[in-house]
Amino acid sequence: MKRRRFCETLAGTGLLLGTGAVGALGRVMAFEETANLSHAEARYYKKHPDREIECLLCPRLCKLGDKERGYCGVRQNDGGTYYTLVYGKACSANVDPIEKKPFFHFLPGTEAFSIAAAGCNVNCKFCQNWQISQVRPEQVPHFDLPPVEVAAAAQRNKCRSIAYTYTEPTVFFEYMYDSAVEARKKGLKNCVVTAGHIQPEPLLDLLEVVDAVKIDLKSFRQDFYKEYVRGELQPVLDSIRIVSQSKVWLEIVYLVIPTLNDDEKDIRSMCRWMAKEIGRDIPLHFTRFHPMYLVKNLPPTPISTLESLHDIAIGEGIHYVYVGNVPGHGAENTFCPRCGKVVIERFGMQVKAVAMNEGTCGFCQSPIPGIWA
Amino acid sequence: MYLDIRMSASRVVIIKTRHVLGSDDDLDRSKIVEMLSLGIRHLTGARDIGEGLARLFSRDDRIGIKVNTIGGPKISTRPLLPLSLSELLVKSGQPGRNIVIWDRTNRELREAGYSLADRRNDLKVFGTDMAGAGYETEIISHRNIGSLFSTIQTQFVTASVSLAILKDHGLAGVTAGMKNYFGAIHNPNKYHDSHCDPYIAELFESEPIKGKHRLSLLDALVVQYHRGPSFHTQWAEQSGALIFGLDPVATDAVGWRLIEEIRSKKGLPSLKEEGREPVYLSTAEKLGLGRAGNDSIEVIRDEI
Repeated sequence: MKRRRFCETLAGTGLLLGTGAVGALGRVMAFEETANLSHAEARYYKKHPDREIECLLCPRLCKLGDKERGYCGVRQNDGGTYYTLVYGKACSANVDPIEKKPFFHFLPGTEAFSIAAAGCNVNCKFCQNWQISQVRPEQVPHFDLPPVEVAAAAQRNKCRSIAYTYTEPTVFFEYMYDSAVEARKKGLKNCVVTAGHIQPEPLLDLLEVVDAVKIDLKSFRQDFYKEYVRGELQPVLDSIRIVSQSKVWLEIVYLVIPTLNDDEKDIRSMCRWMAKEIGRDIPLHFTRFHPMYLVKNLPPTPISTLESLHDIAIGEGIHYVYVGNVPGHGAENTFCPRCGKVVIERFGMQVKAVAMNEGTCGFCQSPIPGIWA
Repeated sequence: MYLDIRMSASRVVIIKTRHVLGSDDDLDRSKIVEMLSLGIRHLTGARDIGEGLARLFSRDDRIGIKVNTIGGPKISTRPLLPLSLSELLVKSGQPGRNIVIWDRTNRELREAGYSLADRRNDLKVFGTDMAGAGYETEIISHRNIGSLFSTIQTQFVTASVSLAILKDHGLAGVTAGMKNYFGAIHNPNKYHDSHCDPYIAELFESEPIKGKHRLSLLDALVVQYHRGPSFHTQWAEQSGALIFGLDPVATDAVGWRLIEEIRSKKGLPSLKEEGREPVYLSTAEKLGLGRAGNDSIEVIRDEI
């Protein structure tokens, strides 16, 4: 059904939409000759003498000479002015269950119009969408989908929200921000799926126009971030803290990779940090890894590992702990931390039953934090 | 039998001329050909250019001349260089159809002054984005490198020439022959951290590059010695040099030295003093890709 609706959207707008996160990308090619990149001035940068600029969007703070692109590959210095090459240039657009992001405490059972533009400001060796995130925009098929059209397409597809996802929305910040503004005009909500590798200033600006943020915390160790993410841990923790202190809903996902970031001591430390810094009510998802991109030599995460980490988090007092990418697992459900009963029953990305009443447990009336309507 | 890199690894040849650049930066074609011929002869020890090229390439080779055109017309490998080299190769018996002058994109090549050509039986000039080329679909992973390589390098080319423009680079320190191969992968933007170290060396060490590289040739006719890699007239020196080497590390090290000499002459601090010396050269040496130390490089200078 979603596929059909998706195709109808395509037919109605003349857009070329993908069929999943990576769309029809069986082959990554260069499309420079026909590429239709944007040339919109970027936000968050500083001009320096001699046509040099400094990007202030993410913690890398790339310093670029004329004609150079940042680490993300989608922002370019052209004559001393910094441009985003992906404004209004979607490489993927789909209607997804919100649970796919995953958001479990944000409009459960609804669909999100999900878009991405190419690029990423980190380089996770285990990236699940590397065909669109670890490439330059001219190397993937993309299509014009300006912010007004994003909001219109979401509304046309009866989506409750727009999700900025699949790649790293930080690097298409301007596109995301303007789309979020357009979405709000139509009464739609906005949610962001990000690695959280962003500077505080743009993050705070973004929080003014979005409703939920899911941050992928890749590890609780800096050496892992350096080796496997090519980024820094501290800015991500800072982002988590900033979002938690805002009115925007926050969920955290931790992709568990066997032997690389599944140390129980680290998980315990992470949970204690969460409890202390952001509170016990922020949902924590332990999701199952599948071999991908540059990490193909490891098996999928054993379910027993996910369960052990789940139990550690529960033991440390985190109220909402989930196991992801294991359809049918009991820890996909939301339990009321007070009475222990299932308030949202799920199977994979589907919501099967809801026993809640205006944000409270349907059994004991305890409040369940989240955005429910 | 090609030259054994182990025997002549550290020989680097610098050929200079005072009069190669005319008005509007036009090059004197005859002088370029003469410089190339002299450089190849000094490098290979051959009596003539034909013999010298025959020591580098077999008749069965498909030769890729990788140029660097990212900087636009003022600071890219000048088209006359690869075209003259191709002409010499053809005169020495290499079929023109087996030679390709290439870079990342057709647009960058055109902007740098190249005329594209993709006729089956002639010399070819095009970018990886030319229809029928593109990138491999499978990631090649080598140490810290994980990239899709240009099919020009992986499928067409059997012998590779890095014909790079020598210039100062804000991150790497110096960009020259080894870094030129960043243009052979789809994601060079991911390898600029830590002064591009160890990425430049590790990319060069990957099989599609190291296994095919035969010659480093640096366009140092005009050297951007400061504030590179972008072009700035006030920091561009008419050096009039071409630098030749079989050892990719030694060739780049000599290029670095040339930049330092110009910087010193102009009263600028050294790259080391600016905290951006090209440390990837030491890494490359440790990986056994060549020699970076001054004491282990024999520099032959000549002038026309």
